[in-house]
Amino acid sequence: MNATVGIPQALLFYKYYPLWETFLKELGVDIVVSNPTTKKIVNSGTSLAENELCLPVKIFFGHLVDLKDRVDAIFVPRVVSVERGTYTCPKFLGLPDLARSLDTQLPKILDPVFNSRLGRKRFYESIFDFGKQFTKSKFRIWRAWMAGVSAQKAYQKKLLAGATPIEAIADEQVSTNNGDLKIGLAGHPYNVHDPYINLNLIKKLKKWGVSVATEEMIPPKILEHEANRLPKRLFWSYEREVVGAAFHWMRNKSVDGIIYILSFACGQDSLIQVLLESEAKKRKSVPLMSLVIDEHSGEAGMITRVEAFIDMLRWRAV
Amino acid sequence: MRGYLGIDVGSVSTNLVVIDEKGDVINLIYRRTQGQPINAVRQGMDELRQNLPNDIEIAGVGTTGSARYLSGVMVGADIIKNEITAHAVAASHIVPQVRTVIEIGGQDSKIILLREGIVVDFAMNTVCAAGTGSFLDHQAARLGIPIEEFGHYALRSKVACQIAGRCSVFAESDMIHKQQMGYRMEDIIYGLCQALVRNYLNNLAKGKELAPPIVFQGGVAANAGMKKAFEEALKMKIIIPEHHHVMGAIGAALLARTAIKNRKTNFKGFEVSSIDYQTRSFYCKGCENNCEVVKIQVEGKTLACWGGRCGKWEVQGPEELDAVVYSSTN
Repeated sequence: MNATVGIPQALLFYKYYPLWETFLKELGVDIVVSNPTTKKIVNSGTSLAENELCLPVKIFFGHLVDLKDRVDAIFVPRVVSVERGTYTCPKFLGLPDLARSLDTQLPKILDPVFNSRLGRKRFYESIFDFGKQFTKSKFRIWRAWMAGVSAQKAYQKKLLAGATPIEAIADEQVSTNNGDLKIGLAGHPYNVHDPYINLNLIKKLKKWGVSVATEEMIPPKILEHEANRLPKRLFWSYEREVVGAAFHWMRNKSVDGIIYILSFACGQDSLIQVLLESEAKKRKSVPLMSLVIDEHSGEAGMITRVEAFIDMLRWRAV
Repeated sequence: MRGYLGIDVGSVSTNLVVIDEKGDVINLIYRRTQGQPINAVRQGMDELRQNLPNDIEIAGVGTTGSARYLSGVMVGADIIKNEITAHAVAASHIVPQVRTVIEIGGQDSKIILLREGIVVDFAMNTVCAAGTGSFLDHQAARLGIPIEEFGHYALRSKVACQIAGRCSVFAESDMIHKQQMGYRMEDIIYGLCQALVRNYLNNLAKGKELAPPIVFQGGVAANAGMKKAFEEALKMKIIIPEHHHVMGAIGAALLARTAIKNRKTNFKGFEVSSIDYQTRSFYCKGCENNCEVVKIQVEGKTLACWGGRCGKWEVQGPEELDAVVYSSTN
């Protein structure tokens, strides 16, 4: 019988699930994905977590708890850097350590290191290092990784074509997305695409006849190019993408308004919020609204804001 | 004569307004919600019926405020709108050239910027209610001054004293400290007004261009001390509309007038004041989210449900409600 490995449906799941799934499957394990975020998951995560962490990391812990009794190991990679010269969020760098330090009995944590800063050779060495525990054949590890990479490419193609990560992963049909108004949703994918965290924002907007654009629908080259318009290079990869998407929408006015979803305790978000707001003010092209999310956010206040924002955009359009 | 009814049920007050075809106020009711929105609406409707001229026919109804869905179901609203839009509509109706709306209500405060009659930007206080009406209410009660007198005290101040307004908890301890030091009541009260204005300008108006004409509305606009503090801080004249405390309801009525055109209204009549509305809440067991769902019922029949995350409860409400919510967002 194969070992089962759990993958939490949180944080970088929305970016890399197809890569991880295929890679691990090819190495001969069975995959179990945690359930979509629910109140129970949020509560178990927040009760375990240090109070100062951001909501998405707390929720990640809830997903670990959701998995712990039904898998042999949980996959929590240490994603240090995904392109040369940049880092990811400090919490991602320490995620396996944070997980291990939780006051709960977790199964084994599998924590391969993904660090592009070390150069190609050492990046692959760490993948071989990780793969060794499943097979002695270096070739098999290589083949598994390459299969993962091609699954990832297919996934990104679907996202570019307009599928949401959840739709693309489940291979569902892309939901209709044509309204009289178009909103760009900026923010970390784990905030934009987890319907629990953002109180089902995408579905609500679509129900109100608004179509939705996200950063995944913009080619990476454009994101890179737009983010480079900042006077200083941002050294966090994922935040560069958020900024790139928002700048892109502001410049070519392909959306009627931008809603930026940010986590209350997120350090990067707090900086990016200022960058985006000052750019929006300078350009005066597309209205921008920031929505701050934490475990206390009530639906009523958020709905009022989003409703008023949409009213305002429709009003302008007349 | 055709009239349009606007209802604004907020956290502190419940306001009902009837306007005529031109948008002028025929009658208005302002009462405390006292945590019981259903009763407040029923009693408000009853009072309104007694005060309205006999020849008024309600041709359209709009609801707004934090209890807009609840009150919308009760009275049969033609349009249910968020309070930001309602306030902007009312302000630009009464002062057509308005470019800035300052609104401070019981538990929230907003800023709305308009240019050529169109909302171009807005902000609303987030988690913190420091500086809103409830806090002033609380302080007035603590000092034993009727809230209506609060503004007059502030105007008598000669040397305002510095109060920390960033947080209402700190503001209160600061005020107590100043009292114990022997500062005059007037100066402390005006100092508080200044602190609240500073807090408002720093939090909500941060980086926004506050261009005249500026309209100040909401319950707190009744406080002359707040008006003076705003005028001093902004070095501009502030306009306080005659019906500043019911502007949300006026906005809802105006929106109903626009929405109705030649349609027939959904209005259920003033009889709703004698209907016994019941609300029940329960935890949905459909999934692990355990959403808290609220039902509004009449004689055991469910009129509407809300509170569920997945939306399955909403569709079991009456179809009209869905249509109203839909048309409210289109």
